Amino acid sequence: MSERGLDDLFERYRAACPEVEPGPNFMPSLWQKIEARQSFWSVFGRFGKRLTTASAALCLLLLALNLFFSPGALNVIPTYADALMADHSAESTDYGEAIRSNTPEAPPER
Amino acid sequence: MLVEPELIERARAADGQAFNQIVLAYRKRILGTISRLIGRPEDVEDVAQEVFVRLYYSLDQLRAAEVFEPWLYRLTVNAAYDYLRRRKRRAESRMSDLSEQQVLMADSAAGLKQDESEREKGRVRDLMNSLFQNVSDEDRLLLTLKEVEGLSLKELEQIYHVKENALKVRLFRARQRVLKAYNMASESGRI
Repeated sequence: MSERGLDDLFERYRAACPEVEPGPNFMPSLWQKIEARQSFWSVFGRFGKRLTTASAALCLLLLALNLFFSPGALNVIPTYADALMADHSAESTDYGEAIRSNTPEAPPER
Repeated sequence: MLVEPELIERARAADGQAFNQIVLAYRKRILGTISRLIGRPEDVEDVAQEVFVRLYYSLDQLRAAEVFEPWLYRLTVNAAYDYLRRRKRRAESRMSDLSEQQVLMADSAAGLKQDESEREKGRVRDLMNSLFQNVSDEDRLLLTLKEVEGLSLKELEQIYHVKENALKVRLFRARQRVLKAYNMASESGRI
């Protein structure tokens, strides 16, 4: 078949597809479908809202329990200076002193 | 456009009466387009209602009343596409339940009830449907909109948001596949 034959076939197909007249129940049935979907979404939306509220309440409860059972959690987070002070252990002091003790003495004067 | 932009604006503002008027103005055109897109007269009304349900829930996403028609066509194409996919799945499961003999008997029994011109129309629809099996559902819809509905490339560009050149290439390839399928079927004596 040629390109023209294909165009002709498309034309015949167009004529073979009947013009469908809307039935008498087209509009009532359409509105029923719209309302059915609306009620589905409203139920879904209500369920979603309740789930969100329940999740938020559960989060607050877990946070409260966490704070209640670990009193240290309320302590203020130390500053950088506090952390440095805490890290200034005896070990680092020894290391510094050892370096100092190994320093070669000054050469004797001639 | 078949309706005034003000009517679309009113429908966007959840005016049920305005929406009703839009449906009444466009339903015949949409029914006709769907009839040609899916090739199954018995399912046309269901798909058209699905289009208008989608329209009702997506009117607030419409940018401007001026692009309403391409928007409506886009919804129509999407609903037809979903229908074709569903039908393919249903057909696969249904055909596996019936033997070939049963299918042929059912076809011939249905055929006897129709007169000759209706049968010829049915044959053309069946032929076109079988040729469309050789292209994807997307290409089938594009080909139908261009070659059967007679939409211009500019209109298709607005519906698909795809550049004209890309559409031309896609259409050319789809046509070639349909032609090849026709010639193969013709050589094997199936048509």
